[in-house]
Amino acid sequence: MKFQLIFPKWRKLEGQTTFNLPPHGAVVFAATIPDYVEVEFIDENLEEMRFDDDVEFVGISMLLTTQIKRGWAIADEYRKRGKKVIFGGISTMLHAEETMLHADAVFLGEAEGHMEQVFKDFRNGQLKKVYNHMNDLPPIEIVGPARRELYNRDLYYHKGVQMLDLFHASRGCKYSCYPCAVSYLGGRQFRPRPIDRSIEELETIDNNRLFIVDNSLAQDTQWEKDLFREMIPLKKKWCSHTIEDKPEVLDLAAQAGAWYVYQAVFDTSDYIKRRVKQYHDYGIGVEGTILLGLDNQTEDDIKRLIDFLLEIDLDLAEFTVLAPFPHTKAYNDLIKQDRIFNKNWDDYNAGQVVYQPKHMSPERLQELYQYAWDTFYKDETQEEKMFKLLKKVVSREMDDGTFRKRRPDLSKTSFGKNVKPKIA
Amino acid sequence: MEANASKYQDEVYNFNGLWDVPSICGLKIVMKQDKSIIIATDLFDDNPGTSITEWNTNLAKELCDKYKIDVNQLVYIEHTPDKKTKLSFNQESFYKVQFEILNDKFANPKWEQMTKEDVDNLITE
Repeated sequence: MKFQLIFPKWRKLEGQTTFNLPPHGAVVFAATIPDYVEVEFIDENLEEMRFDDDVEFVGISMLLTTQIKRGWAIADEYRKRGKKVIFGGISTMLHAEETMLHADAVFLGEAEGHMEQVFKDFRNGQLKKVYNHMNDLPPIEIVGPARRELYNRDLYYHKGVQMLDLFHASRGCKYSCYPCAVSYLGGRQFRPRPIDRSIEELETIDNNRLFIVDNSLAQDTQWEKDLFREMIPLKKKWCSHTIEDKPEVLDLAAQAGAWYVYQAVFDTSDYIKRRVKQYHDYGIGVEGTILLGLDNQTEDDIKRLIDFLLEIDLDLAEFTVLAPFPHTKAYNDLIKQDRIFNKNWDDYNAGQVVYQPKHMSPERLQELYQYAWDTFYKDETQEEKMFKLLKKVVSREMDDGTFRKRRPDLSKTSFGKNVKPKIA
Repeated sequence: MEANASKYQDEVYNFNGLWDVPSICGLKIVMKQDKSIIIATDLFDDNPGTSITEWNTNLAKELCDKYKIDVNQLVYIEHTPDKKTKLSFNQESFYKVQFEILNDKFANPKWEQMTKEDVDNLITE
């Protein structure tokens, strides 16, 4: 039986360097599909859709809100052709009711342990409209290695350099941050995977560079230290969201190959300055993530924040404007205050203002968002700063013998497309 | 619970939220001669499920049915306690919510911000 699994494309933010990383959720999901099913994976960001392939059942895996309308359009095409379509993934859960209008079935929750039943129902012509497992999270021990063999690997190279592979060591989050829907999606309980299972999976990944996509590794110090300690012999190099800033954690993280971490910069405090310095002291780079447009920010605050970023020696910075995703406190607050004026989900890309900010017009916030990118990268472009970070990791790889040369056969392509050489 | 928050909460109320996920909120009901005041408090990190705002049409209906409250006398208030951060959007807030009644269901909530004094006056007047 053939199952086509699709990751829909979305509109990338203008003016920013686009990197296509191999999608993670879809292949984690694929690992839960029964063995008798042959899975064909299409990442529409890099491949053309193949609506007329000879497949019996179609799955659409959706991660982002800005991706869902395309996901619905794809489903409509398949259903016109008489194919059954099931949706799953993060943005399916965030937009479940709307998605049901385009689906034969939606799956809500985590897929482990439930796909035998779904495929059995499909084969018996008894697919249910909703598989609601939001309140029925699987034991974390059964989360298996993602099926990365489904990727069309050569597409995830830029001029011969392989992109990072994604990996997760835990689910859930004990925090409930203002703009984040993770607690709705993954439960408010932090659920670390057993360390031996994580290490087992890491060993199977044919890539020395990883992005550990966990919401926050900084949730259980002992687990975090144990994970890093066990990762040391693998000699992987990785970036991740926040890790704890305790010296013993940072020391182990550095030994385990921490390359750079994302650090939310929400004010101009000494705390942030100290934290960035601490990471650097351990040889760990920092990419600041800066959310603009919160109710406590005036124009002056945003300008001061950008000046501060230049002072604290961040390696990279990523600016976003608040996107009020459903099931977040941000969304609830703005809905109550009737401040959301744009409900076109295509525009919920964290680069477009879709609500009325408290201290300025939406247009002014949009300008300040552009000003933030332009000012931070005025003297050194994003690509140049990324290259500096890359040089650091290459030097570490050379030292420990893990460096891989770029692939010459892909040196003139970028994500599957030919690149024109730059003429000086 | 803090003394301040408990002023607007007499019990923790359990309800089944979106997709039947078990959820909790703080609850205070004040019955007056001419009105019945329900204050539902968002319990943030302690709530494993749906927020009171997302579920307010269902929650308000459930509470009216359970406590035999006449919907015409209902004053329904959503309370979000101070999360004790320096961020303004985490400060305490109160909103009066008005619903339309369509086919015996609550629908189309409209929120109106209230001050703490407004709420205190409502309770004590």
